[in-house]
Amino acid sequence: MKNKIVTVNNLSIQYKTTTAVQNLSFSIKEQEIYAIIGPNGAGKTSTVECIEGLRMPSSGKVSVLGVTPHLNRKRMYKQMGIQLQEADYPDKMKVKELCIYFSAFYDHPADWRLLLKQLDLQKRENTLIKKLSGGEKRKLSILLALLPKPKLLILDELTTGLDPEARRMMWQSLLNIRNAGTTILLVSHYLDEVEHLADRLLYLVDGHKQFEGTLEEFRQYAENQITPSERKHNLNLEQLYLLVSPKKGALLSEVMK
Amino acid sequence: MTKIYHTFMIEMKLYTRDFFSFFFTFAFPSLLLLLYGSIYGNEPTVYFDGYGTIDVSIPAYCAMIIGVTGLMAFPLTLAHYKEHQIYKRLDATPVGKGFVIWIQTAVNIIMTLLGFLLLFIVGKLAYDVEYEGELWAISIAILLSIAAIFSIGFLFTSIARDSKMTNLLCYLSYFLMLFLSGATMPKEMFSDTLLSISKFLPLTYVVDLLQGTFNGEALHEYNFEIGMLAGICLLCSLMGAIFYKRKNWA
Repeated sequence: MKNKIVTVNNLSIQYKTTTAVQNLSFSIKEQEIYAIIGPNGAGKTSTVECIEGLRMPSSGKVSVLGVTPHLNRKRMYKQMGIQLQEADYPDKMKVKELCIYFSAFYDHPADWRLLLKQLDLQKRENTLIKKLSGGEKRKLSILLALLPKPKLLILDELTTGLDPEARRMMWQSLLNIRNAGTTILLVSHYLDEVEHLADRLLYLVDGHKQFEGTLEEFRQYAENQITPSERKHNLNLEQLYLLVSPKKGALLSEVMK
Repeated sequence: MTKIYHTFMIEMKLYTRDFFSFFFTFAFPSLLLLLYGSIYGNEPTVYFDGYGTIDVSIPAYCAMIIGVTGLMAFPLTLAHYKEHQIYKRLDATPVGKGFVIWIQTAVNIIMTLLGFLLLFIVGKLAYDVEYEGELWAISIAILLSIAAIFSIGFLFTSIARDSKMTNLLCYLSYFLMLFLSGATMPKEMFSDTLLSISKFLPLTYVVDLLQGTFNGEALHEYNFEIGMLAGICLLCSLMGAIFYKRKNWA
């Protein structure tokens, strides 16, 4: 029986008059790849920010690596790697300098030169960050998330901006990282990515949990929601997801093509 | 110590890569000194109570440098890091954004002092300037001036909703103070109206205090200027801290 790395119990997140997340509970086990999916505004990033300790829950309890995130952030960040959805870096800093800058924050960081090589960024070592492409910046974010040699790696919109080859290389890297013992929490809009990587997934809509389980269980869940005629098609995960989405009507013809 | 060293050194490099900050901290004051020196020389004149043009210009240009770092470089760095969510990313590390903000403050203070040093070296080599002021009195005057002007920059970043607004506040206040405080043009050239306006500008008190202490006058003769600058520092730091607490860092 694997230990639970993240436990979320009855989490609610309120922004003034809007409820972003309501009574959400789930847990993530050691060394699994756990994906959170859902449409925009479902509460994915808010949930992840509570796990990262960057946002305080309105109510409920969150435990990460045995501590309450927003109360023990500095201790937690020594074992946690984070790639934020939108964070940028100083544009006049060079890639190498950014690596040194962030490495200095950790007692025993990973070798950033090796990571640069693994992520195919070594040729950009002396390039200013403002001259990197979107995909290269994304890779750099992932490199920084790997610096603490994390027990838990949180990736929000991992492969946005990466070309198909880079995405597949990134997937393979993530599987290697997981196999080396790291637990990965993934937030993604790309269902092919989730299908390729995730062991389990959480499906959120309007801050409510719709489903939690393995990919096979999600298929069964989705097939139970759709009509027999829709079921006849050999649907992939993305098509199933679209058919159970709140906007199903608008997407139906697109899915059946 | 490693984290302080690396963060400090890289933030120093970033400062030197910003053309505006670098030019107006290091090159512009020295060029202005050489320009005015070539026109007026540094002979004692009754116009400046027996001091030469360069004697009174160096402390005034020091005030100009404090204006560049405190009203431009420092607040615009804070606004850039905030708007691009760099602080949010730094907050997700064991050191947090507070550590980096302290380093950035230290870098801007050091750059201010290096700007002064360069100005003195140019003044000494070109015009053999000498000051009678006590080192401790000059140091207190410099530190208080830095604290007051930096606190204004800090307040701007805390009240402005984005970096465009911070830019606007910083540029307006910097150029207004640059020309109307005596930092570039001596106040002796001002009309009565300009003199009245200059009394409302914090940098005016910096210029007066630095010129006085550099030329050997006792600190207690500048109690009003010291009181004004200390008051500005306290008020702006307090208000800045309150607004920052309310600010959404996400």
